Amino acid sequence: MILLNSIVVVLNETIEAGILISVLLSISHQLKLAPRWWLGGVALGVSGSLLYAQQLATLSEWFDYGGQEVINSSLQLTVFALTLAIIKLMISGHKRALVPVMALAMGLAMVREGAEIVVFYLGISTQSESTSSLLTSGFVGASIGASIGALIYYFLILIPGRHAARIQLLLLALISSGMVLQASQLLIQIDWLPVAAPLWNSSALLPEHSALGQLAYAVFGYESTPSATEMLLYIGALVLSLCVILLSKRQHCALSAAYLR
Amino acid sequence: MNWPKLPFKKPLSALLLATLGAVVEAAPVVQLAIEQHRFFPEVVTVPANTKVKLLIHNRDASAEEFESFELNREKVILGNTKTVIYIGPLAVGEYPFFGEFNPSTAQGVIRAVDTSSEVAP
Repeated sequence: MILLNSIVVVLNETIEAGILISVLLSISHQLKLAPRWWLGGVALGVSGSLLYAQQLATLSEWFDYGGQEVINSSLQLTVFALTLAIIKLMISGHKRALVPVMALAMGLAMVREGAEIVVFYLGISTQSESTSSLLTSGFVGASIGASIGALIYYFLILIPGRHAARIQLLLLALISSGMVLQASQLLIQIDWLPVAAPLWNSSALLPEHSALGQLAYAVFGYESTPSATEMLLYIGALVLSLCVILLSKRQHCALSAAYLR
Repeated sequence: MNWPKLPFKKPLSALLLATLGAVVEAAPVVQLAIEQHRFFPEVVTVPANTKVKLLIHNRDASAEEFESFELNREKVILGNTKTVIYIGPLAVGEYPFFGEFNPSTAQGVIRAVDTSSEVAP
């Protein structure tokens, strides 16, 4: 049971960051960015996760036990801001500036989930299961997550250039707005944002814990019972992303040139 | 500067005070413990239509993650630590929650009940 559970835990944590990472890697592939820039992102993500997990006890007590929420929502809002920068840089064709911003976004997107995996493993290693079987099941979970990421990556790089850019931009806008929604939910959880009754309940239609629900969570930040506060911020974030896309496109037409080159 | 006297001044200030009072009034605290990868109590009764401060104490040495799809809540609670999660205002009903790290044992449900019909003691 623990083994199956560790597959599920690791998979859940990898899917969220994984989808953003596959979109970033597909952009990198199509714009022919410097190879292996992502190693910097992974290094940041891994070291950030370890550091966060190590300091979690202290940090959790901050802000009257709201430290986790404050840090996690800050991470998500920062990734949202970085994604806006990525959209802008992509469209205006600033390839060199794109690399560090993408690495930073990738690293920060990994920190929360990475720390949760570390905490989970530190927790169960005190229980009976052998370390090797635990690591194996975690590896299975990570592999499934990576396969989903790879599927999205190959799907994106197989799309012809001009359409690919459109889909990548749209996905970036959706994923990052989903992060804003998740961040607002965390702030509601510690009573920093006002809460209202859920606007609707679509849990019968698409349960959050179903496979499709999890995927929708990773892509759109899907919630089956969102409150008005969350929806307002989500729509605001989406409108802001789309505005950045449209305004940048008006300024520059270099993107299509870069893709057709 | 002289403000014109308004006939509804007093009721208005009373209303304002009442609203302020409602804002300042702390959310009721409900305690929940985690022991041997189980929640105590497993059925948590809270007043409906009220914001509730859930004080969770993890008495196990290992971490747990409080998670509920119905409540939209998710939080890691390290071993031998406490944490706070605000929930509600909830409509009358049942809201399951579980420990993501030990879902086979750590299962519980929040039961939001209507307390408005009850006579105050």
